Parts: sequence; C-alpha cells; structure tokens
Amino acid sequence: MDPIFNPDAIEQWAKDVGIFGVMNSQWGWPIAEIIHFFGICFLIGTVGMFDLRMMGLARGVSMKALHRLVPFGVAGYLLCATTGFMFIVSAPGQYLYNPAIQTKLSLMALAGINMAVFYLTTSRAISALEPEEPAPMRARLIGFISLACWLGVITAGRLVTFYRPPEFWCLWCAPA
Amino acid sequence: MNDVFAAIEQSPFSIWMREDFYAYFIALIFHSIGMALLIGGGVVISLRVMGLASQARLERFAGFFPAMWAGAGLAVVSGLALLAAYPAKALTNPVFGFKFASLIAASLIVRWMARRFFPMEAAGEPLPPWSRWLGALTLVLWLGGVVFGKLLLHTATVLMVS
Repeated sequence: MDPIFNPDAIEQWAKDVGIFGVMNSQWGWPIAEIIHFFGICFLIGTVGMFDLRMMGLARGVSMKALHRLVPFGVAGYLLCATTGFMFIVSAPGQYLYNPAIQTKLSLMALAGINMAVFYLTTSRAISALEPEEPAPMRARLIGFISLACWLGVITAGRLVTFYRPPEFWCLWCAPA
Repeated sequence: MNDVFAAIEQSPFSIWMREDFYAYFIALIFHSIGMALLIGGGVVISLRVMGLASQARLERFAGFFPAMWAGAGLAVVSGLALLAAYPAKALTNPVFGFKFASLIAASLIVRWMARRFFPMEAAGEPLPPWSRWLGALTLVLWLGGVVFGKLLLHTATVLMVS
C-alpha cells in the first residue's frame, strides 16, 4: 500500500486529459521515445560537449561561443522532460517504484545543482577565458560531474525495463 | 539466409547474450552511451557549420573527434553484441539498413567537411553559402539514425528465438 502516490488516480488523470490515449495509440509511444532521444542528442551535443570542452577537450574552441549553443540543450531537456512526464503518467505503476527512474531523477537533480553551482561560481570566469586558455580546476570538476550525471541518466533510462515488477522495489510502501 | 541466422543464434555467445542476467542490458547501456557521444559530437559540429556559435573556430572542433571515435567504437562493439543476440530480428528489417545508411552518410559528410571546410576556416576563407545546408543535412542524418534506431524495436517482424 502506497501512502504517497496513487498510480490508479494518476493513470485516470492521464486518461481524462488525453495523454493516455495518445501514448497508447499505434505510434504514440514510439514517437514519444524518438522525441525523448532527440532531446538527449541535443543535450549531449551541446551541454555534454561544453562539459568536455571545460574538461580540456577541443582546446581552441571558445567556451564563450560554445556556450551560445546551450539553449539547444535546454530545449532538448524540455523535450525529454515533457515526453518523460507522458511516459510516467501513462504507466505510473511501471515507473514510480522503479529504482532506475528514481536513480535517473536523482541524477537529474544533481546535474541541476551542479549547473546552479556553475552559474553562481564559475561561468563568468569561463566567459572571460581566451580560446586557448585551459579552464580552471573547479570548472573541469563541474564539467566532469555534469557529463557523468547525464551519461548516468542515459544508463538509468536503459535500466527501466530491468526492474520488473517495479512494485517489488517500492521502499516506502507497506506490505500488502 | 535463415540457416545462417539460426547458426549464429545457436552459438554460445548468442545464447549467453540472450540468457545472461546482465549481458544484454550492459550492451544496451554501452550502445546508448556510445551513440550519445557519437551523435552528440555530430550535433555540435552540424550546428556550428550551420552558422551558430560562429565566433568559435570551426577547425578546432576537430578536438571533439576523439570523443566521437570513442563513442563510435563503443556503439559498434556493443551493437555487434546486440546483433549477435537476435540477428534474424535485425537483419530481416529494412529499418536496420536505414539506420546504418543514415549514420554512415552523416559520418562521411563530417569527414568530408573536416577535410574541406576546416582548412578553409583556418585560412580565414569564408565557407560557401550551401555549407549551412550541408550542416543541416548532416544534423537530419544524425537524428535519422536515432529515429530508425528507435523504430527497430517497433517494426521487427521476424523473431526466431526469444
């Protein structure tokens, strides 16, 4: 018995607003998966490559200029978040208790905190660097944590179907 | 051809890939990370050739090639392992061919751009106006690889083993 979430109520809400119907149409789920992976490609293609640049790869590429591509990564993130929400509300029992999803969401939160630390402490210094100058150690560490988080998010996403049945993994549920 | 698929599927490696508790998932994870690094690098180069972030020197984007090569290596090795598990399922599906055609075409165009456009930018010469369209085409091909890759699961019609 879950004292926090009510998967049946969430699924009923998804049915009421039409998300469930779209996702369970013939091509709804595959199209949402494709859009989800488009989002990941833009995220890794911009934020991930910026992380690699901070870590020392592609010396000579201006980090200030490369940072202008980050809005594509934000758009990718929004695509992932929207489709991810559609997956969860269309099959809440398969996702809410799944350790892979819990890990994925935790890593996303960690990536968010890491990003906040970057913008609060390091982004100005990075923007002021010449293209050939190496990033300071703090920026390298932030880049490494960010990339590790996003690759971890991909890994956790692939493990969603590994944990079956998900209810078995609910840590906060009372035994039935 | 089915005899070849059947022989592969009965090989010890193929059986291990299907029946081991972790093997298939580990290959899937490496395939995803490899594809993310390969296509991620491809996306950033495509966007730059399309004219975005134009203050960044294009020829220096070659510095991302090691990450793309590492990604391609991971994707190929793990992809072969996944293919060994279910060869009939993949190789009887035309979508599998479309995925490869997209990714190989994108890779070849990036290689061509690195030989043609990168030295032009390094010498301070302007790129031809159609270079932006080539960058956009490459982006479409990279994303096409994703589309066909995801559609593989939903379009397979032949499954000789489970």
